[in-house]
Amino acid sequence: MQLRDYIIRRLIVLPILIIGVSIVVFSLTRISGSPVGIYLSHEMSPAEVQQIEARYGLDKPLPVQYYAWAKGVLQGDLGWSGVAAAPVTEVFPNKLAATMELAFSAGFVAVSLGIWLGTFAGARRNRWPDHITRIVAVSGASLPLFWLGILLLIIFWANLGWAPIGRSDATIWASIAHPTGLYTVDALLAGNLKAFGDAVWHLALPALTLGYGATAIIARMMRSSLVEELQQDYVDAARAKGLPERLVLRRHARRNALIPTVTVIGLTFGFLLQGTITAEIIFRWPGLGRWMADSVLRGDQATIMTYVLFTSVLFLMVNLVVDVIYAHLDRRVVLGG
Amino acid sequence: MADISQTRLPKSPFRGPTTSVWQVRVLRMRELAANILSNPTTVLGLAIIGMLLGMAIFAPFIAEPNIPDAYQMPRDWGAVRKPPGTPGHILGTTNEGGDVFYGVVWGSRTSLQLSLIVVSATVIIGTIVGSIAGFLGGWVDEVLMRIVDVFLSIPELIFALAIAAMLGPSFSNIIIALSMVIWVKYARIMRAQIIQVKQNEYIDAARVIGDSKINIYFRDILPNSFTPVMVQATLDMGNVVLIGATLSFIGLSEAGIAEWGVLVSEGQAGIASGRWWASTFPGLMIFLWALAFNLVGDGLRDALDPRTEGR
Repeated sequence: MQLRDYIIRRLIVLPILIIGVSIVVFSLTRISGSPVGIYLSHEMSPAEVQQIEARYGLDKPLPVQYYAWAKGVLQGDLGWSGVAAAPVTEVFPNKLAATMELAFSAGFVAVSLGIWLGTFAGARRNRWPDHITRIVAVSGASLPLFWLGILLLIIFWANLGWAPIGRSDATIWASIAHPTGLYTVDALLAGNLKAFGDAVWHLALPALTLGYGATAIIARMMRSSLVEELQQDYVDAARAKGLPERLVLRRHARRNALIPTVTVIGLTFGFLLQGTITAEIIFRWPGLGRWMADSVLRGDQATIMTYVLFTSVLFLMVNLVVDVIYAHLDRRVVLGG
Repeated sequence: MADISQTRLPKSPFRGPTTSVWQVRVLRMRELAANILSNPTTVLGLAIIGMLLGMAIFAPFIAEPNIPDAYQMPRDWGAVRKPPGTPGHILGTTNEGGDVFYGVVWGSRTSLQLSLIVVSATVIIGTIVGSIAGFLGGWVDEVLMRIVDVFLSIPELIFALAIAAMLGPSFSNIIIALSMVIWVKYARIMRAQIIQVKQNEYIDAARVIGDSKINIYFRDILPNSFTPVMVQATLDMGNVVLIGATLSFIGLSEAGIAEWGVLVSEGQAGIASGRWWASTFPGLMIFLWALAFNLVGDGLRDALDPRTEGR
C-alpha cells in the first residue's frame, strides 16, 4: 500500500472511530439511570420529575436522545457544568490552556532529558551511568505519579520551602494581560521577565513530576537504539578515518538513533494526557484534569462527557500523526494488515 | 571416595522411543525457567513478588485484623498523628489515628484481590472475544475488532475513571471499571496470535486428518497462542494496581479502606505540617508492587522473544 493511500484510509476511519467513542461516552452516562438525578430535590413529586425529563427529551428513546446530544455537541453546546457553575464551553478554553502549558512543559522536560540520558547511557554501555539510566527507565513505568509528586512536595515545598504550589503568584498574575491563557507566553508578550520567572518557577515541579514517566520511556528507547547503531559498520568506518569519538556520536550514531525515538515520543503523549489529572490535583493546578477529578466526585456529567470525548479525539489524532510519521520514516513497516 | 556408579545422572525428559507433545512442552518450560532465572533483574522482581504475596497471605499474622472488617483501617483516636517509631505504631499513624503499618500490610491483600480479579476476568473475556474474532474471521471479526478499536481510542485511565464515576465511588466499582477497560488488549493480542498460528502447517495437518474445529482450537491453536497473553497478564498484575491506586487516590474508593492509594491521598493533608510518613510508605508499596511485576514481565518477554533482549 502506498503511504498516500494509507493516510487516506486512516482519515476515513477516524470519523467512524470518533462516532464510536461518542456512543460509548453517551452510553456511560446512562449506566446509572436517568441523568436528571443530580438536578432533583427531595420535595419534587413524581409528576414534576416526569415534567423535567420531558423538558430535556429524556422520555424519548435512547437513539433520539443520542442524536439530540450529538447535535448539540456539534453546535458547540456541551451542557452546564455543575462544578464550575457555568456552561462547559465558557470554562473550557482557560482550563485547556493551563493543562496544555503543563503538558507541553512536561513533554519538553521528557524529550530533552530523555534523549540526553539515553545518549549518555548508550555511549557508556554497562558502566555506572548506564546502570543509573536503566533504573530510571524501569522505575518510570512503575512509579505512581501522584506519589512522586507528593515526595517532591515533601522535600522541596514542605521542608526546603523552595518550590511554590499552584500556578502563579496572584499579584504577579494580575499585573499582566492574558490574551493566550498560557502564562509563560503571556508574560513574554507583556515583556515582563518577573512574571515569566514566576510562571517557570511554578511549572518546574509539576512538569518534572508529569514528565518523569515519559522521560523514562524516551531514555530507554534512545539508549537501546544508540547501542544498536554503535555496533554498525559505518560507525567503525567513521572511527577508522580518525573522527573523534564525540563527533562519531553526535554526527552519525545519534542522528540515526533518533529515528525510532521520535516515534516513542509520540506515544508518550497519552501518558502525559492521563498524568495531568493527578499532577493537577497534587499541585493545585487549575486545569482540565483537576476539573475532571472534581466532576467525577460530584457527578458533573456534562464535564465528564466533554473531557472523555475531547481527550479521546486528541489521542486519536496524535496517534494518527505518529503512525504516519513512523510509516514515513520507516518504509519497511507493513501498512494495513 | 566417590563411587561413580552412585552418581545420579540427570533424567532425560524423553522416556522411551516416542516423544509426546507434553514431553516437549515440559522440556521447553525447563529451558524457559532456566532462561528467566539467569536474568538478575527478573530474579529481583520475583523476590519482591514473593515478599508481597507473603505479606498478603499472612496479613492476619503480621497485623492483627481489625474487627469487624479487616479491610477497614483501625482507628486509634488516642494516637493521632504519631511519627514512625512510636511503640505499637512502627510506621506512625494518620490524621485519623489509622496505623500506617496496618494499611501497608492489609493494602497488599486489597491489591492482590484487585489485580487477580481484574487480570483473570479480562484474560478470560479477551481470550474468548479474540478467539472468536480470529478463529471465525469474516464479518464477526470485523464487527468485534471495530468495537475493540473504539475502546482503545479512549485513554485507559480516563476511561476507567469515567466508568467508575458513573457507577459511584466504591472499591468493587473500581474492579468493574478496570475490567471493562482492559479486556480489549487481550482480545487484540489473542486475535493476532490465532491468525498467525492458524497459518502453521500442523493446523492444516490436523484439518486433513479430520480433526473437529473445536479439537483443533483447544489442542493446537490455544496452547500455541497463549505466551504473549501471559507476558501481558504479568505486566498487568502491576499496572492494574497502579491504575486502581490512582483511581482510589482521586477519591473513587470508600474512605477508610485499607488501600494504598486511599492512604496516600489521606496522608497528603499532613505534609504541610511535616507529617511525611502517612503518604510515603503506602506509595512505596504501590511502587514496589508495580516495579516487581514490570521486571518479571520484561524478563518473561525477553526469555520468550530473544529479539527484544537488552531493550
